[in-house]
Amino acid sequence: MQRSQLVIVAGFPLALDRRYHAETHMWVLSTGPGRVRIGMDPLGIETSGTLAQLSFVPAGTELIAGRPFGQLEAAKFVGPLVSPVSGAVLATNDKVAVDAGLAERHPYGAGWLIDASLSAAGELPGLLADPAEISAWFAAKIADYRFRGVIAQ
Amino acid sequence: MTEPLRVIDFGCSPPLRSQTLWHAIGYGVSAGAPATLSFTRPAAPYVCLGYHCGTDEVDHDYCRANGLPVLRRMVGGGPVYLDADQLLFQICLPARAVPAARWQALRMLLEPAVTSFREVAVPAALDDDLEICVGDRKICGHGAGQIEQAVVVCGNLIERFDHERATRVLALADPAQADQTLALMRRFVAATPVAPEAFQAAMISAYAAALGLGAVAGELTGTERAAVGDLDERFTSDTWLAGPGRPVPPAGAGPRVRRVKVRAGVWTLSATCAGAQVAASVVRGAVDQVRLRASGLNGSSHQAERALTGVPLQSVAQVLARYGEPGRRLAAAFAAAEPGRL
Repeated sequence: MQRSQLVIVAGFPLALDRRYHAETHMWVLSTGPGRVRIGMDPLGIETSGTLAQLSFVPAGTELIAGRPFGQLEAAKFVGPLVSPVSGAVLATNDKVAVDAGLAERHPYGAGWLIDASLSAAGELPGLLADPAEISAWFAAKIADYRFRGVIAQ
Repeated sequence: MTEPLRVIDFGCSPPLRSQTLWHAIGYGVSAGAPATLSFTRPAAPYVCLGYHCGTDEVDHDYCRANGLPVLRRMVGGGPVYLDADQLLFQICLPARAVPAARWQALRMLLEPAVTSFREVAVPAALDDDLEICVGDRKICGHGAGQIEQAVVVCGNLIERFDHERATRVLALADPAQADQTLALMRRFVAATPVAPEAFQAAMISAYAAALGLGAVAGELTGTERAAVGDLDERFTSDTWLAGPGRPVPPAGAGPRVRRVKVRAGVWTLSATCAGAQVAASVVRGAVDQVRLRASGLNGSSHQAERALTGVPLQSVAQVLARYGEPGRRLAAAFAAAEPGRL
């Protein structure tokens, strides 16, 4: 990622070279025709608490938008990692499965979660794609989470 | 009209059912059944793994020899020993009814449990690690998870606690780690022998009040009963017991490490690195007890153990630097056993 595509919004890094699913805080980065890399943005991670474990369905598993592709455990709370796209899992990040903290330290880089092929490219337009729109959404989320005490001021 | 809080007391249940019954409620609530508070008591002892626990965290030979089934739950936390001296409770709500931030959801769903303990004269508090404690002793284990569109938090009233067995079921690296783990269990995990009926009544009132719901005795729906059967099958399958796949580090690569968490901030470690062995207990970031073995220490191991007692983990390497090359190997073993995500 080019440095110019990473900005800081109210203290949180935001990569502008990818798309975002507004509800789940998952990012989707195009890695080739019909292929994407998926990860979680720092706000999604922050609201989860200190990550203890991440686990994924095996490579080859079908992905359905809105359905889990793995589980995240933080504070003894296990919850789904929800896929923002449909397709199939091509690979999972073994490093982040061994060291969940990698997703906290490098949310846009080494802390990626899965690589996937897309079955319905039509779903991508449902994601936030315009940098100005992404920045506004991210800033509004931070303000809302701070207002509700979800994250620290 | 006040929405209902369905209350189901399953009474004594066989080990498998003491898990699958309330997991089935998760699916029921996800499908539209009302928020539910449920109770059950294991009819026989068993071991229960958290969703992400490795099967290698439990001593399966011991469990087999003692007739202890090993099950895996869908919620988080570590491996736990459960028996008839524990009343298990579960609160299950639609996911939309709890805050999206996990710590807020946990706090919301654990605070009524704290209120319940206090109602039966146990001076419990929810600490900063979201553990229910009296002083620095944990009195209630808990785990949480999302089952489809429902959130469930489970916990237990520990009327009596078999510290020895709770330690013995764990796969520990060596006798020193076993001794240290048992010592920490005794020190930091306590039973609260109150009348379970009174506690149960207090829980029903506390959860109904906190959630603004009206408590109503209920039973499983047909869908939930069917889910119990499916879950019975799933939970006894080898695939489920194996747990979610975790990448296996290459054999022989790096130090061998075993860490056991007793409660937040309290854990034991055993690590072997280049022939140096460390077994230590850690309390709030400082070495509590330690056993060291390394060639070349030349009889100074006891001195080094004394020097490390009470030392913050981040200063361990500095203290061990006084012991030359064996000290460096021991420091490497300590470093490999850093708590990380514990």
